[in-house]
Amino acid sequence: MMRLHSGDVTLFAWHALQGYPARTLLMLIAMAIGVAAVVVLTSLGEGARRYVSAEFASLGTNLLIVIPGRSETAGINPSTMMGETPRELTLDDARSLTRSFSVRRMAPITVGSANVMAQGRQREVVILGSSHELLAIRHWRMAQGQFLPGTDLDLATPVCVIGAKVRNEIFAARRAVGEWLRIGDRRFRVIGVMGSQGRSIGVDVHDTVIVPVASAQQLFNQSSLFRILVEAKSRSAIRPAKQFVTDTLRERHQGEEDVTVITQDGVLATFDRILQALTIAVGGIAAISLGVAGILIMNVMLVAVSQRTAEIGLLKALGANRRQILALFLSEALLLSMLGAVLGLVVGQLGSLAIRYAFPLLPAYAPAWAVSLSILVAVATGVLFSLLPARRAAGLDPVLALSRR
Amino acid sequence: MVLRDFIHLAATSLAARRLRSVLTSLGIGVGIAAVVLLTSIGEGVHRYVLSEFTQFGTTLVGINPGRTTTHGTSMGVFGSERPLSIEDAEALKQLSFVEAVVPFVQGNAEVEAGNRRRRTTIYGAGPQMPRALRMRVNSGEFLPHDDPTAPRALAVLGSKLRQELFAYRNPLGQRITIAGNRYRIIGVMEPKGQVLGFDLDDTVYIPAARALELFNRETLFEIDVMYRANASVERVVEGIKRTLLARHGREDFTITTQEQMLDVLGSILNVLTFAVAAIGGISLLVGAIGIVTIMTIAVNERTGEIGLMRALGARQAQIMGLFLGEATVLAAIGGLAGLAMGLGVASLLRLALPELPVHTPWIYVVLAEVLAVVLGIISGILPARRAARLDPVEALRDE
Repeated sequence: MMRLHSGDVTLFAWHALQGYPARTLLMLIAMAIGVAAVVVLTSLGEGARRYVSAEFASLGTNLLIVIPGRSETAGINPSTMMGETPRELTLDDARSLTRSFSVRRMAPITVGSANVMAQGRQREVVILGSSHELLAIRHWRMAQGQFLPGTDLDLATPVCVIGAKVRNEIFAARRAVGEWLRIGDRRFRVIGVMGSQGRSIGVDVHDTVIVPVASAQQLFNQSSLFRILVEAKSRSAIRPAKQFVTDTLRERHQGEEDVTVITQDGVLATFDRILQALTIAVGGIAAISLGVAGILIMNVMLVAVSQRTAEIGLLKALGANRRQILALFLSEALLLSMLGAVLGLVVGQLGSLAIRYAFPLLPAYAPAWAVSLSILVAVATGVLFSLLPARRAAGLDPVLALSRR
Repeated sequence: MVLRDFIHLAATSLAARRLRSVLTSLGIGVGIAAVVLLTSIGEGVHRYVLSEFTQFGTTLVGINPGRTTTHGTSMGVFGSERPLSIEDAEALKQLSFVEAVVPFVQGNAEVEAGNRRRRTTIYGAGPQMPRALRMRVNSGEFLPHDDPTAPRALAVLGSKLRQELFAYRNPLGQRITIAGNRYRIIGVMEPKGQVLGFDLDDTVYIPAARALELFNRETLFEIDVMYRANASVERVVEGIKRTLLARHGREDFTITTQEQMLDVLGSILNVLTFAVAAIGGISLLVGAIGIVTIMTIAVNERTGEIGLMRALGARQAQIMGLFLGEATVLAAIGGLAGLAMGLGVASLLRLALPELPVHTPWIYVVLAEVLAVVLGIISGILPARRAARLDPVEALRDE
């Protein structure tokens, strides 16, 4: 009985692979392409997911968004997002939402577009009507001056805060704070300029003018609100806050539930799920190539078995048993696919590094599950596909194998 | 060597190592199947989205209040100091190329009929809506041509809302209450289904002026203009712009033509389809590497054979052609198998998930096969060149 140590087996496999450098290299490349593709693509998907999460987080923390209108068929659909309702959300509704322990802050929001003009220059921009609290809710920072004053919501103070782009376009190099700005048919005093990091989904704060909510309502001749943002005291207070908002507004609206309350977490979870599914799908498609690489390994191992028949015969004649021959070929495949996977992992990580370098906004890090899964799949396919050739080798009759040549 | 011998030689050497040939082809086949399947899904989604859009007709122009901002949609929909009014819509009717003009207001309210209530979408629309948007009235009639600024309180129901409110009773002539105001039902629309997230059946249509009043708004959401098929888009946009400029004094509206929208959508979807196909193509690349590997091995194994052929007078080009031919045949067979697999899975998908649109244009099938053959040639070049450059004496000694 011949004895083979596992070290000997690995060494043997290594020499076998070295014997045919060209084909070994090609198989390594095939495996590496598959693993690298999975790593790069999932890192892209993960990057997109993190980007969206960060965008949502920048909206605020523990946020509830109250939207007028509710549809019975589908929870939230495009029509609720821009719909109008006969019973509007009013400033009184908004004010009533602060009367709870679970609510920390509240900011009413109206949106519209208007022409702004100062010193002969004009520009069509988004006008955001809101209150003092918005700054804290959205974690915005001021570049100059101050945000809207914390006066009563009903007070239409003629002051405004402008975004950096509006400032550049209209005031250029001159001082903006303290100047008059004509919005529509009214004049507003500029009291502040928004900081640079005010970019978030939907609204580009750079190109926005923020005025007190009552002033915006006068400007657009509306008494309704577009949204109400409510910040809960803590993460655990989100649920009671949502309940409170729904109950309060139902009571105020004669028992009719005609608003939709969405939580930031809810929306985030939805996006998270979608992007996660996309990442998995893309990674899965890329993983098909691992299967193809597996087929290649099987093919080459079959060739190797037939080429090395004499060698196998000799080993068997020297007393190697079935299992040892099987182990020899399997470890060759294992070595091959592991090397390929590691090579692919290195290339893939370099690829995602390049993506991060090229698009600094996109945090493209391959998720751990994708990395470990791709290596696992690579190794598993390598071993699985070489089972047939290895068994063929192990089943060879020593006499016939030796007499072949 | 005549062509027949050529094919014979290639075919026998492939057949002699059947399992090996099958596996090599399979590598290419899986890649082709992935590409075909993914492009089929991409193309299916493309067609689905385009048909969703064009079902309202292609000769449409939408006008929204407010100028477009950087993110495409105008915030003017939510509120604007310069509203788009019903009078604007009326003025557009005077243009020569205009076939129909529909003002739109959209909102959400509770509709009540007898003791049944339902919160649903309210559309304020004009009498020409069915014509402009190619929608059909199932029973009764659509909103009549009343005075557009003071229309009667009439309503037309979507098919689903009719089902919810009236079940099997005849709704025509019945009264419903929309947010406290009474309306008389004069028609029911044919089912239209979900269109890009909007359920057009769970709605009620009322005159636009009444909807503005109901929602206490000044500006319409949109005015849709349907123009004659023989008018050029540029002229239509120009005409609308001139009319509205004359009324408003400046450009405080956004005009979107259906064509622009379809172009943008089409190019986005094309890019997506291409990206997905490229990801699938990674498998194809790996399959091609498989051909290179196997052909390299084959050249090594058959050194003696090559030497013999060279000694018998075969030219380098012929040897090269032989090996290239083998690689190409392998890839072509793999391509065919892949097409069969891809199409098979595509039709299975169509059976299993009827809502997922899958469509395989013939041009893709042809292109995929051409791609497979080209890949075969490319991956055959290196091994074939090696075979052709073998020194006949050395090669024969190898035997």
